[in-house]
Amino acid sequence: MVDAPRNETLIGSDVSIKGEMAFDGSMRIEGKIEGKIVSKGKIAFGQGAQVVAEVQVGEAKIEGTFKGNIVAATRIELASTAHVLGDVRSTKLVIMEGATFVGNCHVTPDALKATSEFVTPVAATPIKK
Amino acid sequence: MSKEAARRLIFCPRCDARQEVSKVTKSTSCPGCHRNILTSDVEINEYCAKIEMWTAGAVTVGKKGTLIAEVRAESVVVKGGEIKGPVTSRGPVTLEKGSKVFGNITAPSLSIVESQHIVGMIVAGPRAAELIAEIEAAVVAKPPPAPGKTPHPAKVA
Repeated sequence: MVDAPRNETLIGSDVSIKGEMAFDGSMRIEGKIEGKIVSKGKIAFGQGAQVVAEVQVGEAKIEGTFKGNIVAATRIELASTAHVLGDVRSTKLVIMEGATFVGNCHVTPDALKATSEFVTPVAATPIKK
Repeated sequence: MSKEAARRLIFCPRCDARQEVSKVTKSTSCPGCHRNILTSDVEINEYCAKIEMWTAGAVTVGKKGTLIAEVRAESVVVKGGEIKGPVTSRGPVTLEKGSKVFGNITAPSLSIVESQHIVGMIVAGPRAAELIAEIEAAVVAKPPPAPGKTPHPAKVA
């Protein structure tokens, strides 16, 4: 079992989620996710993670299997165990030797200016009373 | 005492034909396509624009180098410089900090230290062929609609 830092949400390897997720802060996923993830925080997909999703986050680190498109405001990092199929868009990209990546890559300092779909996360929207 | 010359195996960047050459060989003729093959390593430290940069050696682009060409090489290293054009490598592609690549990258291994300028399609990694086969299988499984079933645009309007 992977130990998460105190302020990090951990989705364990025996968890399977289908749907839309939003969070503040940081999250580490070791399980199976299918759907959409929106946040301004950090997300890390662990080595055992199996994700099929559209992701819009602040920073992303991938160590497991990921299928879908990722938009990250600051940085995307693919570890040597990463297995990514999909498009990435960010301002910084790091790929370790050994990572598998098939997809379009758009990494420029103003990459996110062109994406109008980088929306405010659901959790950060004030609730009207 | 016999002195054995050091030899190396090279592959033609055009037709993939293999041949063994001496380590000091700078260029040779391909036994497959009978065209000239550059076998030496190439280092770019200035502006260089050409149609193709095909070599059976390594291509290195230095910090002040800008290479505008279709690159095919045994390995590619960008040390902070820039490549504009598609990059295909038989070996690893390494992009060091500050490197820029505007073009598709195809390589069995890709390592990017930290880059802010990469635009193009990337096919890299030991399991890339597996992923491409998966995409092709998905395309075959979902055939396009039969031409007879789609209504004529004029009739719809």
